[in-house]
Amino acid sequence: MSKKPFVIQTILAVASCKLTRAALRVSGRGGGTALPGKVAMRFERNILAVTSKGMDIIIVTGTNGKTTTSNMLEHALTARGDDVLANKSGANLLSGVTAEITCSADWLGRPKKHTAVIECDEGALKQVVPLTHPKVIVVTNLFRDQLDRYGEVMHTLEEIRKGVRKVPGSVLCLNADCSLTSSLALDAPNKVVYYGLEVPYGDQSGAGVSDAMHCIRCGAKYDYEYRTYAHLGSFRCPKCGYRRTDPDVSVTSIDSMTAQGSEVHMEVAGRPLKEPVHIGLPAIYNIYNACAAIAAYRAFGGDAEEVAASLADVNSCFGRMETFMPGSQPVQMILVKNPAGCSQSIGYLTGLDEDFVLVVCLNDRTADGHDVSWIWDAEYEKLAEDGHVRRIYVSGDRAGDMMVRLKYAGIPEEKISAGCTDKDILKMSAESELPVFVLPNYTAMLSLRSVFSEATGKKDFWEKQA
Amino acid sequence: MELSICHLYPEVLNLYGDRGNIQCIKRRLEWRGISSSVTELKIGEQADFTRFDLYFIGGGQDFEQEVLLDDLHTGKDREIRAAINDGRTFLCICGGYQMMGTYYETGEGVRCDYLGAVDLYTVGGKTRMIDNYCFRLGQESGGSTVVGFENHSGRTYLGKGVKPLGTVLKGCGNNGEDGTEGVRFKNVYGTYSHGPVLPKNPALCDEIIRSALARKYGAAILEPLPDRFEKQAHDLVYERIMSGTMSTD
Ligand SMILES: [Zn+2]
Repeated sequence: MSKKPFVIQTILAVASCKLTRAALRVSGRGGGTALPGKVAMRFERNILAVTSKGMDIIIVTGTNGKTTTSNMLEHALTARGDDVLANKSGANLLSGVTAEITCSADWLGRPKKHTAVIECDEGALKQVVPLTHPKVIVVTNLFRDQLDRYGEVMHTLEEIRKGVRKVPGSVLCLNADCSLTSSLALDAPNKVVYYGLEVPYGDQSGAGVSDAMHCIRCGAKYDYEYRTYAHLGSFRCPKCGYRRTDPDVSVTSIDSMTAQGSEVHMEVAGRPLKEPVHIGLPAIYNIYNACAAIAAYRAFGGDAEEVAASLADVNSCFGRMETFMPGSQPVQMILVKNPAGCSQSIGYLTGLDEDFVLVVCLNDRTADGHDVSWIWDAEYEKLAEDGHVRRIYVSGDRAGDMMVRLKYAGIPEEKISAGCTDKDILKMSAESELPVFVLPNYTAMLSLRSVFSEATGKKDFWEKQA
Repeated sequence: MELSICHLYPEVLNLYGDRGNIQCIKRRLEWRGISSSVTELKIGEQADFTRFDLYFIGGGQDFEQEVLLDDLHTGKDREIRAAINDGRTFLCICGGYQMMGTYYETGEGVRCDYLGAVDLYTVGGKTRMIDNYCFRLGQESGGSTVVGFENHSGRTYLGKGVKPLGTVLKGCGNNGEDGTEGVRFKNVYGTYSHGPVLPKNPALCDEIIRSALARKYGAAILEPLPDRFEKQAHDLVYERIMSGTMSTD
């Protein structure tokens, strides 16, 4: 265990954190999301344990949906009157979380806010949770992601397990439909709550790439009563009996799904919610995120009806279904980082009833993963079959790879324009007579978003918090 | 003309966009008016191995490879060796490439028997060799440059007289020591370039297609394709790797 730091160390750490962030912002070098944390940790390695002491914290991790689920929780908690701290910037490694929480403490390192919703990288969980002792840990799902950083999805799962082992007192909030995620409960003493869908969705054949076909305990192939997407669904191992646990929070019917959002019926602790739940964000994966938020909010001591009601006007955030209006047509940005999320986003686009222009941006920087092989597992073929896609613009460090991917997906070369800069995309979007959808990966989204924010007068994420 | 393709164990050996390779082969055949069919052969399924002209076997997660070795040792190993000796074309990536060898020895000294179809073996290492890399194909495989991504901790060593697929220009290749990458044995093409190696390297794809057509029809001349996007993608990555500006932020 870490020894209690001296007061002087704490003061130096907090001061250096605040000053570094202020300096970065004044000099116009962006939000200063991780560096202030690194500087603070040089004075006191475990400063986060001090500056988060006594706070009630929810931590959200998992491959997809971390940011949106956190955003839903922050929205619901703010609606009930809590003053909530959240790491909106997406700086979700130990240094970023340290910076966010330490900067909001007073000069003696005492937290000024009582509640926090923290999005945490899967690999950083084992460092962040022993310092923050969260009340609730949400694990949204596990898919292949950023492969060269973690190697394999099983490795990522083990990293999360290491984190969970360090905090037996935290309530785990797990996706019941994900055989990988829910296996976290198998050897954990923690209290566990589950969420999931009680209804099939989409193609039931199980075709396409699956990240978890075989039982994590014994290797036998799972049987599915029904599927929802990718490897999610009601799984059961015919050999050892490992199976989906009946969820505490579940969707019992999907009544409508449009570009504006979904309406579903839900059951909580065996009883149907009085009202249907409106989720103000489109696509199936946001139904999962909503379930995760409701389950976590309850585990945090909140009321299910209350959080469910708040989901209708939840805002899109930071490149996740975020909309800009640079001209007469909306430009919607949908962050894609891995095959499962990307295929779902493509499914959302091809489900629309209107013609549109598509922009695809692919970078290969550290935060994106240096390996871009995953684009071959995402279903770009669906775009080739959809007559609504009028033109596709490609940009990013790996635009070449993306152009080849689209060509082999069956999209005619004449439909694909390459060599676009962020400025070109902005200009094209401002002049477009059709709605524009942008599918960027992480660092591509950051740079594109800042160009669009500047042009449309939207504030940067860190200015909103000030 | 027609090629029958067999995708071995697609349900377990499907890491990192491997299926991009099958798609690349299919499209490049289709654009030349050559038809093809793909048969997936999963664990527990039987097939006649003399029916196929081109086999593809990809990479997988360690945890799922045990399931698969049990299945191979039910007799498929013999049939695969026969197909290779018969000159049928095999494209083997990463874990699938290692599996063609005689064995894999883990860092703890545990030995796992593999197919023994090609004289090579693999030893587990502590550090992973992960990065974009690039190699030049041997003359018998066309001599062009190949860009790819390697991600392996196993170090593979070729037996005496066994030819590599190419020579490393930048990166680690088979073992990070001897400058070799992959294997070329009869019509077996083995490589650590995981995932979609063929789309950005159309010359290698065509070489593989040509070997399969040549075995089946005696000789094969492939009509050249425009490959504008493919060349652009290859050259962009090639230049970044060679100038050392690939993995910088
Ligand atoms: Zn089992």
